[in-house]
Amino acid sequence: MGKFGKEFAKGLILSNPVFVLALGLCPTLAISTSIDNALGMTLAVLIVLLGANIIIAAIRKIVPNIMRIPIFIVIIATLVTAVNLIFHAYLPDTYESLGIFLPLVVVNCIILGRAEAFASKNPVLHSIADALGITIGFMLALLMISFIRQVLGTGNLTVFGFDFGTLPVLGEHPMAIFVLPYGAFLVIGLIMAIFRWKGVMKGD
Amino acid sequence: MAAKSTLKNAFPIILLTIVVAVCVSLLTYVDSLTRDRIEAQEEEKVQNMLSAMFPEMSRYEFKDDIYIIYSNSDKVGYAFIAIGKGYGGDINILVGLEDETTIKGITIISHKETPGLGSRIAESSFTDMFRGLNIADVALSRDGGQIDAITGSTISSSAVVDAVRTEAMEKVKLLKDSEEGG
Repeated sequence: MGKFGKEFAKGLILSNPVFVLALGLCPTLAISTSIDNALGMTLAVLIVLLGANIIIAAIRKIVPNIMRIPIFIVIIATLVTAVNLIFHAYLPDTYESLGIFLPLVVVNCIILGRAEAFASKNPVLHSIADALGITIGFMLALLMISFIRQVLGTGNLTVFGFDFGTLPVLGEHPMAIFVLPYGAFLVIGLIMAIFRWKGVMKGD
Repeated sequence: MAAKSTLKNAFPIILLTIVVAVCVSLLTYVDSLTRDRIEAQEEEKVQNMLSAMFPEMSRYEFKDDIYIIYSNSDKVGYAFIAIGKGYGGDINILVGLEDETTIKGITIISHKETPGLGSRIAESSFTDMFRGLNIADVALSRDGGQIDAITGSTISSSAVVDAVRTEAMEKVKLLKDSEEGG
């Protein structure tokens, strides 16, 4: 596997942003109530992270150390605002259901974290691989949590209007705790525990 | 030497200025691309909600926060948005009036109530109870009205009921005033 493949693959499990790096937990906890939301958030993070990583890697040599953070923040804020406008215009339903968490992508630690830790020190191509890997890792985490929360919390699985069916008993009496905020902590905690138990997190 | 070091010190500031300038012009461009579409999108949302409530609607006018609904040239009703103070935040309710005393129906546009409990205010089993009621009868049954509160969600239920009644009375007064005035 080349360097590109390696940077890509590490984001999936070994440095999974949610379960291993524990970054971006705020949007993860808040929006992982349905698969629709998970995919909408993934798309927003993909555009912003890919754009930010490419731009920051491209200008990394001319940015003086003391100006790093302000310049990164301006670039990220611009991308997030643009994504907000585009979502509002073309994906109004997703825009509505993500609500405040779409503009809050600007303070998502995954994005500034990758800019600081990776894109500011690596060439453009590797930064693209890093962005893609981290986004897919983020998506896998979101999908896993959202699936559990949506199915147990509503007893039903509907993705973009397509109904995959309703569970027999849960459809009548869903466990609403799973769509509430504390249900998110419960699910994330249990998945993290499994990751740790299986020894995915090295060095602790 | 002095000039060179001044330039070196000023470089970060110049760079940040350039980055901000580029970003601002980029955003202005994206805004100009999406603005019309966002407006059309919002307009369509209102239109869809109104025509779901008044299937016979052919056009509407928006005046003083009230939507006046027309079917061809006949006035068939009014609609307005009421905001209730729910358990989890604001509840936005679209209220339709058949005439100046009767509720046509209500639709919950958005709310932040507890899923599975207060969120049931958005279900038709709750909103259907408002249909055809006299505005004065919009009250919870324990207060002598016609609406049964949702079990375990009295705060959410009464927030909707109070907002609908208060706002409806106010709008009707406004409508009557404007008719007398002109």
